[in-house]
Amino acid sequence: MGIRDAGREKGSMAEVIASDSISRYQRIGLFTQIRQGLSPWWFLLPAVIFFIGYQAYPIFRVLWVSFTDYQYLSQSPAQWVGFANYVEALNDPLMWKSLWRAALFTLMFLPGTIILPLLLAVLVDRVSNARLATIYRVVLLIPAVIPSTLVFVLWKWMYNYQAGPINRFLIDTLGLFTIQDAPQWLGGTALTLPAIAVMEVWWGLGYHTIFFLAGLASIPRDLPEAARIDGASEWQIFWHVIRPRLAPIMMILVVLRFGTAMAVIDEYLIFGGFNRETPTYTWTIFMYDQAFHLGLWRQGFAAAIGLIGAAAMMVVMVLLIRVFRSRD
Amino acid sequence: MTMEAIDDSAFPARPVSNRVGGPGWFRRHLGSIVKHGVINLFMVIIILPLLWVLLLSVKSRPDAAQGRFWPTSFDFTRYTYVFERIDTFPLNLWNSIYVTTGTVLITCLCAVLAGYALVHLKPKGGAFIIIVLLVSLYLPIRVVSIISIYEIQNWLGLINVTSGLILPYVTLNLAISILIMRSMFQLVPHQMMEAATMDGAGPWKTLWLVGLPMVRNGLVVIFIVNFVTAWGEYLLCTTLTNDQTARTMPVVLAAAQGGLGQWSWPALAAVYVIVVTPGIIAFAFAQKLFFKGLTEGMLKG
Repeated sequence: MGIRDAGREKGSMAEVIASDSISRYQRIGLFTQIRQGLSPWWFLLPAVIFFIGYQAYPIFRVLWVSFTDYQYLSQSPAQWVGFANYVEALNDPLMWKSLWRAALFTLMFLPGTIILPLLLAVLVDRVSNARLATIYRVVLLIPAVIPSTLVFVLWKWMYNYQAGPINRFLIDTLGLFTIQDAPQWLGGTALTLPAIAVMEVWWGLGYHTIFFLAGLASIPRDLPEAARIDGASEWQIFWHVIRPRLAPIMMILVVLRFGTAMAVIDEYLIFGGFNRETPTYTWTIFMYDQAFHLGLWRQGFAAAIGLIGAAAMMVVMVLLIRVFRSRD
Repeated sequence: MTMEAIDDSAFPARPVSNRVGGPGWFRRHLGSIVKHGVINLFMVIIILPLLWVLLLSVKSRPDAAQGRFWPTSFDFTRYTYVFERIDTFPLNLWNSIYVTTGTVLITCLCAVLAGYALVHLKPKGGAFIIIVLLVSLYLPIRVVSIISIYEIQNWLGLINVTSGLILPYVTLNLAISILIMRSMFQLVPHQMMEAATMDGAGPWKTLWLVGLPMVRNGLVVIFIVNFVTAWGEYLLCTTLTNDQTARTMPVVLAAAQGGLGQWSWPALAAVYVIVVTPGIIAFAFAQKLFFKGLTEGMLKG
């Protein structure tokens, strides 16, 4: 357009040059303005696209779906049903049972995954030999670099009824059981949730210890020393000097791990199944079962189940943060 | 314990106490013995399961069946056997490799660009982005959003397409990766970046030549974190793909039942060792940088 216009209008040369240079000046000015204002956003754009596409949009989509009778495999379009899915889920005893199972697992897992690493960190922190301390740290982080599914596979084999080394040890070495009455670790018995909790503690042990070690490193050395000179016992030093300074790290760990423990799903899919009577049938499996397994995939109902579970978790997480904050 | 003895040798005033078993040695070192004893107990607990699976992969079949911990004979042929005889194994391994590589590269790129922009280009609304990212770390939405991620992938025609997994995988650790890179870029002084700009380098050039070398440690951390997550992801892979040939190796391994033939226990264990080794090797190489980056990142955040 610009070129054609310039060719048709034949004003004086000076006019053309002047107007051209002005407009170009303005154009560059505007362009630079846009570029400078938007330039940070060019850098942010890839992250924002992924974040919106696969994290923000799904939340709102799921929220909307939870108010409809959406069935994935059904041909008929989704109808708005208001709170019907939520009412149905909250009236279903399985919803409460499955939430309780997740809470039960969290109770089994959370204390061990905080206290053991804390103990270990306090001990490793006192190792004065630099090379030994490095070796300990490297070994501690090995489980943290094993991908999740491979941890589950490893422990699935460890807990195997016949071939697993745990039962072989109990039967062959200790002679506590015979092949007939050996404990059935996985597969929906009362032992399943504790067994999974032990696995999770093993997995997080090293990583959490490193976390606490970083916190311990930030405590000035002369603080415990001064307390020791004043005649405080090691326990008193730990409780009154070290523990309060680790509280922020502890809060992050408790809240984050509460979140992971309540929303465990991969482990239950691998170790359990879709049997409603087993302890691994928690709200996450209930949701997955409805969304991708049963009937015509009632994803509207499943979304309501998932959001109820997520909301319950959020409430407890906020409470936890409040409790920790108020103690400071 | 020998290490303790070396420690004490720095104090030649007490030469007698150095000798193990000397008079009063045990009592004097009780605290240290308990300390190292407890630490080493935990070390054994961490290592034992991994050692077991490593040994299982070189056991003969009768040894494996008997559950003897240390094999009577070593048999390394499993490692070639699994490549030749398990039909989908090379395919699954390849799936794992390219999905993970794609995910790690894209996430690291997004995180470096975003972290740099948030700190040194100071966009309007940057504080808002940071709050959204922080909140997303605590929001328990991973499980629920699988419903609409399935829908998105179906809409894009990516159900049962292995490379399609990269898209949702990138977001798994995107928020934490950006926050780590942000805290790393905060350690880079503004003057350095400004000096580069004064010399006529644009924001891209400044990032590439000045910023990137200074955030190397953080890059190593997010590389490893994303590698580990993508390599072992289960939920999305098992939901978004149906065929065994389209799945990644760990997911296939999770479904495998130990038994006879190609899925015998030692063969399974060999597959396991092959799949678990890359992560540990990567970590071993980057260990020093990883620790530096981890502590720098953690003390800031």
